[in-house]
Amino acid sequence: MIVSIEWLNDFVEIKESPNELCDLLSNIGLEAETTQFTNKLPGVIVSKIESVKKHSNADKLKVCMVNDGKNTHQVVCGAPNVSSGQIIAYATIGSILPGNIKIKKVNIRGVESSGMICSENELKISDDHEGIMVLPNNLKLGKEFSSSFGYKFLSIELDITPNRADAFSHFGVARDIACVTGRKLKMLPQKKFTILKKFKIPISSESIDDCPRYIGGILKNVKIGPSPDWIVERLKAAGQRSINNVVDISNYVLLETGHPTHIFDYKKINNKNIIIRRARKNEHIETLDGQKYELNQDHLLITDDNTPLALAGIMGGNNSSVTDDTSEVFVESAYFNPITIRKSSKSLSLSTEASKRFERGANPNICLDAFSRVVFLLNEIAGGKLTSEIIDYYPRQIKELVVTLRPEKINSILGIKIENDKIEKILNGLEISFNFKNNLYECTVPTFRPDISREIDLIEEIARIYGLNSIPSEINIGGFYQYGDPDPEHYLDVLRSSLCGLGFHQLYLNSLGNKTVSELTDIDSIEVLNPLNIEMSNLRTSLLPGLLKACDYNIKNGNNNLRIFEIGQIHHLDQSKKVKFKENKYFAALLNGNQKNKTVHNNEKKEDFYTLKGVIESIFETKFNMNLKFKKKSHSAFEYCHEIIINGKSIGALGKISNNWIETIDLDLTTCFGFEINLDPIEAMITNKKSFKQINTYPTIQRDLNLVMPDNLEVGKIIELISKVGKNLILKAMPVNIFYDPKIFGKDNKSVTFSIVFQHRSKTLEDKDVNSIINEIINIADQKFNAKLRV
Amino acid sequence: MPIDDRIDRTRKNFLSDIDPFPNNLEQIERIRSKYLGRKGAVTELFLLLREASKDERPLLGDKLNNFKKELTDRFNFELSKYSKSIKSSEENRFDFSLPGYGTRLGSIHILEQTLSEIKDIFKSIGFHLTYGPEIDDDYHNFSALNIPEHHPSRDMQDTFFVDSKNVLRTHTSNVQVHLMEEKDPPLRYIVPGRVFRNEAISYKSYCLFHQVEGIYVNKKVSLSELKGCLEYFVKQMFGFKRKMRFRPSFFPFTEPSAEVDIWDNERNQWMEILGCGMIDPTVLENVGYDSTIWQGYAFGMGVERISMLKYGINDIRHFYNGDIRFSKQFI
Repeated sequence: MIVSIEWLNDFVEIKESPNELCDLLSNIGLEAETTQFTNKLPGVIVSKIESVKKHSNADKLKVCMVNDGKNTHQVVCGAPNVSSGQIIAYATIGSILPGNIKIKKVNIRGVESSGMICSENELKISDDHEGIMVLPNNLKLGKEFSSSFGYKFLSIELDITPNRADAFSHFGVARDIACVTGRKLKMLPQKKFTILKKFKIPISSESIDDCPRYIGGILKNVKIGPSPDWIVERLKAAGQRSINNVVDISNYVLLETGHPTHIFDYKKINNKNIIIRRARKNEHIETLDGQKYELNQDHLLITDDNTPLALAGIMGGNNSSVTDDTSEVFVESAYFNPITIRKSSKSLSLSTEASKRFERGANPNICLDAFSRVVFLLNEIAGGKLTSEIIDYYPRQIKELVVTLRPEKINSILGIKIENDKIEKILNGLEISFNFKNNLYECTVPTFRPDISREIDLIEEIARIYGLNSIPSEINIGGFYQYGDPDPEHYLDVLRSSLCGLGFHQLYLNSLGNKTVSELTDIDSIEVLNPLNIEMSNLRTSLLPGLLKACDYNIKNGNNNLRIFEIGQIHHLDQSKKVKFKENKYFAALLNGNQKNKTVHNNEKKEDFYTLKGVIESIFETKFNMNLKFKKKSHSAFEYCHEIIINGKSIGALGKISNNWIETIDLDLTTCFGFEINLDPIEAMITNKKSFKQINTYPTIQRDLNLVMPDNLEVGKIIELISKVGKNLILKAMPVNIFYDPKIFGKDNKSVTFSIVFQHRSKTLEDKDVNSIINEIINIADQKFNAKLRV
Repeated sequence: MPIDDRIDRTRKNFLSDIDPFPNNLEQIERIRSKYLGRKGAVTELFLLLREASKDERPLLGDKLNNFKKELTDRFNFELSKYSKSIKSSEENRFDFSLPGYGTRLGSIHILEQTLSEIKDIFKSIGFHLTYGPEIDDDYHNFSALNIPEHHPSRDMQDTFFVDSKNVLRTHTSNVQVHLMEEKDPPLRYIVPGRVFRNEAISYKSYCLFHQVEGIYVNKKVSLSELKGCLEYFVKQMFGFKRKMRFRPSFFPFTEPSAEVDIWDNERNQWMEILGCGMIDPTVLENVGYDSTIWQGYAFGMGVERISMLKYGINDIRHFYNGDIRFSKQFI
């Protein structure tokens, strides 16, 4: 909401600059920012256009002579509304307009132009740039525009929180300012109006709940015309356009009091019988703005029994709207149920100044004041005369709540003792009346504060006005001691830093993706009912597609060599369970391109399956000390796929990313390796607990063993054999060389050299200890795998 | 030929062979074996000992040993001179300006780093961590937190629905409710996690972001303590000189509610960094706590926002597009 500072001055004296006022309001919970218009426009002078003639070289331009009170300047102007005799805002040479626009002497199509005649947009008063801003005739020439006229448009923009229905008006904001500054709050101007001739309008409501109060009255002799300048200016300062005097009055009273009213053209109401009811099936309404809505039970209407006249509390209907030939009006000032209006407005996606106030909770007991204010202004400005009795349908009066406030509770919640006279000053300022007895305040809360119904709500008000920054900050903030693990996900920190050391970059990627991609895995994906767009319709079922996309993106931006990973949630549907939405913590990584580029020191080395496997071994075997196994498996994501088994549990898979996935996700990747792991089953197994083992200081013996074996024999089988035969004596057995030469070994054979390191736990090994093991390995390898010692 | 002549001739040959001393190892080895090897000239001279008389032998032996030592020393001297020359030419080839072997470092995502800083600060003042579900029911995400179904406060958060009763959580506050349902007071936790908002994607908003929720329930917890706790956090995170303010605000689940702003020197304005307040008694009653005995505070902050302010990141989308050029700035 935009509030005009000049308007606020009607109700409370404003001594602050706009910036100071913003700070003051922000500090009491009305978050405020200055608008673009500033009071500092040095060099913009009230001036008069003395003559206008056509530009000889341009049809649309005019050459004006502008009198700034001292001198006359020649100014070229393109505005259609410029004419001789107008008082205008003239930006002199050297002045600087908002947006850092410097005014210089220019030559426009052969005619010299000194300065500029400003539009409202150029001064940032409104976005109107259709023509120049024409000022009232009574302004003195040569005066600064800001101080003689511009100040009227100084305003601030407030972000009103949903609880503060009371602050949604100039008067409401002024009340808070008065309360916090201790200045006097001036009441709304009230004047009596005369009633010409009495006649009753039948008004009824189908439900007291929907419409607890409805005031209506008829005015005749209304003359539609433009609003007086002061209304136009104030509406403009509050960011609204003037329409005509009658419509403006309703808007003006809304911004002033916070209470929405509506004005109907009474002649257009066929059946002179106002009924407030829910819409019936298949009913329609065309609203003031020309939009058509199909209605249902959720929508509350003002009707003449048959025809819908207005969407109650939201917007009037076109069929009963005020137009240029309106002369008789029906004025409505009602209080509607906040939930009813909220549902109606939500279901139509139609939010208006009126609906915003009703759904927050308007004040049922201001209806008559707002009505009177509208009638008074209609009378003053549009000549309207009240000809009916004022009907006030208010079957059950909404009473003020009484809430008890204990000073010691204020102390306990805020952590500071606030003196009683301070508490009372705040309550008074907020128009909350009270009785103090037995050390308790019995507070009567006015109906314009629907947000206050409990003691805690009053404590909030005390804190708000007292000032949060005036409450001291407790420095003893240690709390109490808690036993247990401070972070159950600490193991992820270890995982992340290990990967970081292995050259992987962690990514945070979108949880939402398209349906096709989410259906790549064999788990059911969860669809979002109201997605932002079809590319984000489903929750991801795997982290790999996101990583693949990132990989593709980086390659296209010239970064081929990538090691990336993500740890994040994936979601899936399990219809069989009571809680059908499941989530798991996944961990996935990708490798692409070279692990080493060619340099002066070394040749390039590509990422491959074995670097991938090595990463998994480093993390789970070396870092987390877990039992890791791999088993061949098929999985749509991978070629050369193997499942990853930790402590006997299958937790994921690794391999080269399949073309099927790359094509489905629509990427241009070629060789990319990756894995994906479900961390949930192993979270409990990862202890990362280290314990010291005695260091074995006995010497080691290293032997090389060279076996010639069938090409299709997995080297891993021989390593298993070596470990098995060597039992505890084998420290390490690694293949160090694989060699193919059909001439020497035959075309279906390979020669593999193993490096075997022996060590005994409690003695120095001798050659003979090792020889017997080597011999046994050779024998079994021969018998079982047809692997023969190379001679 | 007398023995002395033979020694002299061998010496002469040796000296001529090593002048100049060869500059490759093969030739050097050839010289070594020619004179000092198993079948070399010196060894041959020693064979003469057999022919010498018993009386002559000791003298001759000494003479030969001295000669062998003389040649060996000379040879080794020349060899070491050669080695030094080799070494110095290797040293000459050393070029310090060549780049080192590239060892590629990875990186922990800047949001993770920011989150770690936040976690560490709160751990240091006695908070523990817990986590919760990203998909939750309407009750835990809204109703239990005093956000009724037909109330404008629901508009504060645009929500993704997965069915009529379940949503992608719009804040980590849902975990407050789970936590209090599961545990008896007192409790003191922070809850990091991913949250979702159905908002148009732009430089300042994304369909998801990350929050850290904080909650402390005890018998006497006051707004004054909340202020102390968050001041400690802000000063640790942004420096002891950072200007900050508490500004009254509204959240359905806290009362009184406030927002914390820090002063941004570059933009010359206050920037909101977190929301907080005293837990609304309705929320405490909803989870079965007696609000006449227990009270507490809660706060929630956006990790992205803090990260953006701290590191000068101007577009929230940088966090999620996986661009390695971004990652590499925060190794």
